[in-house]
Amino acid sequence: MTVLILTSEEDVTADMVVAALHGTGTPVLRLDPADLPGKAVLSADYAHGDFDGHLSVNGHVLSMGGLRSIWVRRPGEPAAHAADPSPWLTAETRQALYGMLHSAAARWMNHPRNADQARLKPWQLRVAHLSGFAVPPTVFTTAPRLAREFVEEYREVVVKSASGPPPDDPQVALPTTLIGPDADFAAVAAGPALLQRYVHKRADIRLTCVGTRLFAARKIAEPGQVDGRYGDTGHAWQPVPVPDRIGKSVHEYVTLAGLAYAAFDFAEDEDGIWWFLECNQGGQFGFVELETGQPIAAEVALWLAQHRADRRSR
Amino acid sequence: MQPFTLKYAFPKGICQAVTPYHFDPAQQLNVLPNGRPAVSDPDLLLAVGTTTSTAGSATHFDD
Repeated sequence: MTVLILTSEEDVTADMVVAALHGTGTPVLRLDPADLPGKAVLSADYAHGDFDGHLSVNGHVLSMGGLRSIWVRRPGEPAAHAADPSPWLTAETRQALYGMLHSAAARWMNHPRNADQARLKPWQLRVAHLSGFAVPPTVFTTAPRLAREFVEEYREVVVKSASGPPPDDPQVALPTTLIGPDADFAAVAAGPALLQRYVHKRADIRLTCVGTRLFAARKIAEPGQVDGRYGDTGHAWQPVPVPDRIGKSVHEYVTLAGLAYAAFDFAEDEDGIWWFLECNQGGQFGFVELETGQPIAAEVALWLAQHRADRRSR
Repeated sequence: MQPFTLKYAFPKGICQAVTPYHFDPAQQLNVLPNGRPAVSDPDLLLAVGTTTSTAGSATHFDD
């Protein structure tokens, strides 16, 4: 039984899991949907009341009947590397590939349906509330007046993107930024603004959840630091225990969201409270493992190699 | 009118880093010039920054 990893070739974090699977003798096929059609080949048969399919790339072959699990890691757009790429070819290839994979009886990390929902940041806040996390007051609005009133009420507020930097401009960074009541809110009418009360943090927390295993890491923040992803604080990530209350909320969250993998970001305030900021269903973990030594890749490999059914995998 | 959130964007500069490894189709992972897997050198991976939480942001926003 084979593990299928959907990711790009340059993804060295996926390498950590591939190496762990090699170490346990678990068959693996690594495929970038961008290489289909072309370097990769697909065939699926729906005939005689049955289904079977095959994928091959670089001399490695996978039968759908032998598919154990699917890790959706950093897949490229289907057909992105084709000789004559087009939106139509991408749509057709997506139908062929994901239609075939959905037809197989395999576990997903994470199931695309659940992943799509889990990417919605406003929805994350609602699930975080239901899971018992502390969540900073937040507004997502296209109304300049409401944005101004929110900032006047909470005074120290950050603006953040819900979807990341503009995908058509890879040279642009869009970090979470502190704003004040003197900001020009007229532009809120030109695009939804996600505003959140700023948490005076003494540390960033990255908690990685793999199945039921939790790995928490902490990095001391500089005074006034807003976005932990930008700027070198001189501090490294250190492993920390997961408080019982946080652990229960994490398990509640991933159950509600149907996630087998998730990377949570928290801001730890001066009282030691972990404030929920976001949950990244496909969050990076390589940098955490490399700095803390936490065996996250091995746990991902173990989850992918398991036989047992998991209600969060479908 | 430029959306409010984009007022806080800034250019991050062109990345000049060259990754000292390449993909090996047989092993299905990246290897160093000496043939060893890139993941066998954690210090190198930390130095090139390809496993960080902003490393895949150009195509994946949920990092």
